[in-house]
Amino acid sequence: MKRQRVLFLKENYVLRVLKNFMVAGLFAIALLLILVHKIDLGVISGVSKTVLYITAPIIHTITLPAEGLSIAYKKTSEIMRVYQENERLKKQNTQLFLLKDRMKALKAENRLLKNLLHHFDTPDISSRTARVIAETGDAFANALILYLSKDADQIKPGYIVVDQHGLVGRIELVSGKYARVTLITNINSKIPVIAQKSRDRGILTGNNSNELKLIFTPLLAELNPGDILVTSGVGGGLPPDIPVARIKKIGIDSITAQPLFTPSKIEIVKILFYDATPSAHDLKELE
Amino acid sequence: MKVSLKNFLTAILAFLVPIISTLVLILILFIPRDNSYWNFLRQAPFYAGIYFWQSQRPDIFTFFSAFILGVLADVFGSTPLGINIISFLVLYMIATQISQHFNVKRFSYSWLLFSASTLLTLFFKAAIVSGAYRHFIPLNLLAIEWLLIVASYPLFARIYIWTERRYIHLEERYEKVQS
Repeated sequence: MKRQRVLFLKENYVLRVLKNFMVAGLFAIALLLILVHKIDLGVISGVSKTVLYITAPIIHTITLPAEGLSIAYKKTSEIMRVYQENERLKKQNTQLFLLKDRMKALKAENRLLKNLLHHFDTPDISSRTARVIAETGDAFANALILYLSKDADQIKPGYIVVDQHGLVGRIELVSGKYARVTLITNINSKIPVIAQKSRDRGILTGNNSNELKLIFTPLLAELNPGDILVTSGVGGGLPPDIPVARIKKIGIDSITAQPLFTPSKIEIVKILFYDATPSAHDLKELE
Repeated sequence: MKVSLKNFLTAILAFLVPIISTLVLILILFIPRDNSYWNFLRQAPFYAGIYFWQSQRPDIFTFFSAFILGVLADVFGSTPLGINIISFLVLYMIATQISQHFNVKRFSYSWLLFSASTLLTLFFKAAIVSGAYRHFIPLNLLAIEWLLIVASYPLFARIYIWTERRYIHLEERYEKVQS
């Protein structure tokens, strides 16, 4: 039996023409949204902020039971491994005592050498921690959603997000107590880096996969698989010397690197208050 | 035809059922897992939903519903606003053409047509994203996403069938009572 159309009015010629116009209109709106996002007029970020403000708490609530189960599982396994863990920590403690002495000597030596070179450290950057509540990575975009808790109003788009291994991404959007982070593996991410050993520069680009591509390297760069790439600080967008990735493969025409983090395993991140944009006063002076 | 308030409200609720059911599935898929491919699956309810509801119940699933789902997909997927909207409208158009030109009765044929439609849509979406960022999306990622979307279609379609039978048939019963 053919199903009757009971909910909406039956289509006639006028309605069909009107419908076609509306479909064309929606296509036009979608195209316009993409263009406006590309130009970045601030309108789209306003809309995205509002939507994130509404959706992030829902996602957070949904993930809470799973998170609780995961913590309970981890705690149980930790209790079961406590004896081995204690033995391991005792050994580590002895090693650390030795390292502490070595570090003190190195620190003193470093201070002397710095004085000789007139080297100055990067200014201390204040930071806040945040919890990852969701990861939204697929073939088309790679991002994290963070729960900021307190001091959320101090966090601005553009701030740097790191974990215990190194650079994770940048804050893209802040809405209420939630923020969206664009990962370094995202397709629009481009990071100026320098090889920690050879000091060869390059740009690390993402392509939404878990591999990064190193481009614009010198022809005779001395790079090897396993080398760590750190931020170069060129352009002022990022502070120098933050570990970013490890070189994975060096081909004839391409160099691939692997980020130091696994997106699905990040639980807590640190947000560095590093703002590269000049203040209103500086801008006025520049003008 | 005189439209009563009750009939009008039923229509609005029926219009919301495809959107809400898709949204619920997406939220369930947001439960964290230590597997990066799990995230690829989050787009699947959108594709399955648009294809299913358009081919089964075009009276309650309009192009405007596809637009709303596009906005939601852009927000949940962190893609620039507009990319999923336009690709879902394309999928909606393909699904409309399929339902107009093919009288699909068997589920296997429907599945096959769904896989072809999603392949076209994903290529279209990849072309837009690649154009916007001037950087090609890796084909292996596209292939994985497509395979996961296609493989999960029977499951999501089953859920949508259940939803349709459970909630939307009510309005037909209501019509019978009226007549």
